[in-house]
Amino acid sequence: MKKLVKLLFVGLMLLTAAGLVFAGGEAEEAASGAVEGNLEASLAIDVSVLTAADGQPLIKLGGQTRPVPERPADPSALPETDPLHWWDMEFAGWNSVKTNIPESPKDGAIGKRIVMIVHGDHPWTTACSNGAQKVADAYDIDLKIMSPNWDLAVQNQMIDQAINERPDMILLIPLDAKTAPQQARKINRAGVPLILFNTLPSAEAMDYAIAWTGPDDFGQFRILSRLWADALGKEGGVAYVQHAPGGSPYFARCFGPISELSEYAPEITVLDKQAPGFEADKTMQLVSDWLTRFGDELKGICAADDSAQALGIFEALSKAGREDVIVVAAGNSKVGMDLVKDGKLYAITYQTAEGDGALAVKTAADWFNGLEIEPVRYLPQHMITVEDVEDFYPPQW
Amino acid sequence: MTEQKTQHEHIVQPEMQLDARAVKLNIFSKFLHTLGIYGIAGLFVIFGIVLQVFGVINGFLSVQNMLNIVDAVALLGIVAVGMAFVTYSGHYADLSAPTTMALTGIVCVQMLRYGFLPAILISLAVGISVGLLNAVAIGKFKANPIIWTLAVSYVTLGVIRLVWVNKQIYPDVMASSQRASDLFDAIYRLRFFGKIALPVIILIILIIIYTLLMTRTQFGAQLKITGAARKAAKFSGINVERIIGAAFLVSAVSAAIGGLVVTSLSRVGAWYNGAGYDFRAVTAIVIGGMTLAGGRGSIIGVVGGVLIIGLMNNIMTLLGIGTFSQDMIRGAIFIIVVGVSAKSLRSLGRDDA
Repeated sequence: MKKLVKLLFVGLMLLTAAGLVFAGGEAEEAASGAVEGNLEASLAIDVSVLTAADGQPLIKLGGQTRPVPERPADPSALPETDPLHWWDMEFAGWNSVKTNIPESPKDGAIGKRIVMIVHGDHPWTTACSNGAQKVADAYDIDLKIMSPNWDLAVQNQMIDQAINERPDMILLIPLDAKTAPQQARKINRAGVPLILFNTLPSAEAMDYAIAWTGPDDFGQFRILSRLWADALGKEGGVAYVQHAPGGSPYFARCFGPISELSEYAPEITVLDKQAPGFEADKTMQLVSDWLTRFGDELKGICAADDSAQALGIFEALSKAGREDVIVVAAGNSKVGMDLVKDGKLYAITYQTAEGDGALAVKTAADWFNGLEIEPVRYLPQHMITVEDVEDFYPPQW
Repeated sequence: MTEQKTQHEHIVQPEMQLDARAVKLNIFSKFLHTLGIYGIAGLFVIFGIVLQVFGVINGFLSVQNMLNIVDAVALLGIVAVGMAFVTYSGHYADLSAPTTMALTGIVCVQMLRYGFLPAILISLAVGISVGLLNAVAIGKFKANPIIWTLAVSYVTLGVIRLVWVNKQIYPDVMASSQRASDLFDAIYRLRFFGKIALPVIILIILIIIYTLLMTRTQFGAQLKITGAARKAAKFSGINVERIIGAAFLVSAVSAAIGGLVVTSLSRVGAWYNGAGYDFRAVTAIVIGGMTLAGGRGSIIGVVGGVLIIGLMNNIMTLLGIGTFSQDMIRGAIFIIVVGVSAKSLRSLGRDDA
């Protein structure tokens, strides 16, 4: 009797084990099928048809690659007028040594949860978030956007909160380039995939992120400066109204053109460069003072901002009756585009805010889909002039 | 006789020592107190002329350059002369001024759909209502002026962001007609005789009104007593709550007007318009000789402080001094002026502000 019970027990155990193995196999097969289905459906989604508020394509990949020159042994030893002096900043991310980067799950982007941490509240950020949301909606990604409102301590708290939520990906605009490596390392060690975007962090931060996406500020300004130099006849005195000191735009939008023109138009001389901030009245006083100081010697001005700074420049030029000064600037705000349309601003760079957010989410989706991700993905490069400014209305923000 | 003389000398010595201490003021301090802030402004002008004579800079003494300086600081002047009433009342500063400027500006742009004049009136009323809130809280309920106005600035900022969903709005898009948009644009750009900008005229009008208000009215006299010694003012029968409240209202009026000017200049209604004008205004007020302790100073002095900031920026740019060095020099001059002023006031036994 006992033997029979034992036999029955063993038989039952074997049956249970066999059932579990069979059921597990079924489940795995079903899951595998679902993964394949999700990946297939995900790969089939075409976000290139999406458009931004200005009618331009929301995402435009592939048209903005440019050759990355070999890094000099010591870029900082080169003069500031040498384009290679800026290599570490201009090509940050291209030579990063990726550390502890998780493998792509290759299970499709549909249904993934992404936390996007921006830098702060601003009309630009609103447009950027709108662009990100459009791509997230296309992939049915659950996108949660957090804004620390320009407070680094709050951004660090948000990173902790995001890690605790265990999302499938964190997208981050680092508020401070120097703190970015610590933030990136923390996310990386928590095992959460990370993509940095928009502002350039210190090079070390790139090691811990899958990729960096955003505008090629140096590249844009190298193109803009050539256009500007041609309009100036490759000669004359110019001055630079700079971005806020510290961030990458401060260097890219001033030393980008200076180093480019040192080779392309060496007859152009730099009269002065100042960072008056983003207030029109301060810029106006600066440019009025330049006009007093340099007189007719001043032939061109390059501004880091096409809105308040550009308005300040044109107020000063208008007061002095100087319509001959050729002005170029960064960004395509409504104010800047109106100035281009009026024939005042000679050219501005296309800086798509919606595209910035959209590209970060698209890159995340590509990673979930198992596609190859370049360490750096740039936004499209384009110069807006009076010829095509109408194509960029209505403005994104 | 000799002994008597010695004794006499011993007796008068303390008095003589006191006299000797009273004239121990250095030349700069005496100059500051004899000619006031315009003496320092004069020094800057002389410095500029010397530099021009020696060929170091060009065009400093031209009419256009002087007009440029005035143009550049008119907006700061509008805000500073109003905020000076708060400082004069012994309540340091109105930190809600920048957001009051932003709120007035964005409301005006929004209301341009009803025409230019209604937009101006409604937005000014909204801006002044922030001052009314400050007046009640600080005047009546004795809220700490710094903490309260800072809190109000956060709330105002939140309201702007909430209502306009963090977006900026444009006068030419919002206006009901091209005329309304053009008129709004002209607030900053209209020039009299082709040279003098409307904000400069507004500043001059405010200087006249505020000077009369501060020096020729009962309110001005009561404000001075309240600023110098609030309790004494209260015991002497002055309604200090009303007086302090009125000071914050004047500040809000100026900030609201400044908001219209800065929004017209930037052609954008946005939450960030006016950012930084709180500390810039306080700098001008302090450089202008108005003590943060209250009860001392004048509107003309504040205007002098504003002009010094303009002159300083102008000369430094003409000299080709870089941004970082300019900030450093501005800070150093601020410390020297405030330090010398405080030291000389103490030496004169007037106060330690």
